[in-house]
Amino acid sequence: MHNSTKTVLSALLLAQAAAASFTLTAPAAAHHSYSMFDMNKTVMLEATVTRFKWQNPHAFIQAEVPVNGEAENWSIEMTSPNNLIQEGWKRTSLRTGDKVRIWVHPLRSGAKGGSYVGVRLADGSTLGEVS
Amino acid sequence: MNAKRALVALTAASSIALAASAAAQLGTPTSSPPPPGVTQGEGAAFPKGDYAALDALPDWGGIWFVMRGDPAMGPSPQPELKGEYAQRREAWRAEVSANDGVERRDRSNCSPPGLPRIMQLAQYPYEFLFTPGRVTVNQEAWMQTRTIWTDGREHPPLDELDPTFHGHSIGHWDGDTLVADTIGISDELEVGEGGSHSDQFHLVERIRLVDEDTLENRMTMTDPLAFEEPFEVTVRYRRDRYGALIEFQCSENDRNPVNEDGETQYL
Repeated sequence: MHNSTKTVLSALLLAQAAAASFTLTAPAAAHHSYSMFDMNKTVMLEATVTRFKWQNPHAFIQAEVPVNGEAENWSIEMTSPNNLIQEGWKRTSLRTGDKVRIWVHPLRSGAKGGSYVGVRLADGSTLGEVS
Repeated sequence: MNAKRALVALTAASSIALAASAAAQLGTPTSSPPPPGVTQGEGAAFPKGDYAALDALPDWGGIWFVMRGDPAMGPSPQPELKGEYAQRREAWRAEVSANDGVERRDRSNCSPPGLPRIMQLAQYPYEFLFTPGRVTVNQEAWMQTRTIWTDGREHPPLDELDPTFHGHSIGHWDGDTLVADTIGISDELEVGEGGSHSDQFHLVERIRLVDEDTLENRMTMTDPLAFEEPFEVTVRYRRDRYGALIEFQCSENDRNPVNEDGETQYL
């Protein structure tokens, strides 16, 4: 258990070169600027869903990520529910207790949060971009 | 009369006065004057008889999403600012750079962006409703409602308008193109990234179907005090016929409060 967790964590900070170049702020597209996230980096979390909030201005995934036997609580911001619907999401796509892999652009502050990129659900199906 | 009896008498008198004034108002329509350009008894306030004519308007049914990464939009265009407006934006850019790319905000993220930016949001769709004398734009974002009056009314003089997030929009149909003309947008709102405008800011939108399921909004902005030249932005929206707007109650899910230093928090 601990070993597999460590493997996941060592892979956690693998950087992915993203096409997007750095600009001062995100396009005038969102409810707030995305500059709080490191959009050039993607990390993968082996997580258990503790809450899935399907509500504007952003849907959110709260998830528990085991690290050395301790649980880290991650808060993952998604786009709006209506945009997620366009990508195949439903309010019931995630349920509390689901064990999933989640890819995120992490917060630049180092706090346990990030911007949603993709997910591999418990049944093996995927939504969004997964590595 | 002792003090207590005086108080009772006073209370009774004011109750009667309140009751009388309430009786005068109950069921009686109030009568705001018609807006400039509209004759008494006409305009959007008198829709009967004008519904059938709406069928001649183009089909904008369903909801509309901004097309993200649309090459027609090009790189995020910025207005050519002048004078103090240009200096202010330079200062803003310098501060954002110095602050590791993070913009400080002086108001809540639960506060809407207003025009023109609210018509350019990729995350939240729109719907356009036609009723006699007006086009109503419902924006999922912040559940904002925008009215474009098409009943021939004029803009009130600028100094009589309250500066607002949506300003005052009047419109007309030029064939199948809705031409909307807006003034009165608050000068505390942004235009472009870190740009600002004066109370003379003027927005003209030409909105039309460019193919069956694509709506185009050509926005032209002018400002004699802040802009060197007209600033043009084109936004395109794609249709979802049976899509529906989703409720937006920001205060119920505000995970990005702004602290006293203007920094956006992440909960």
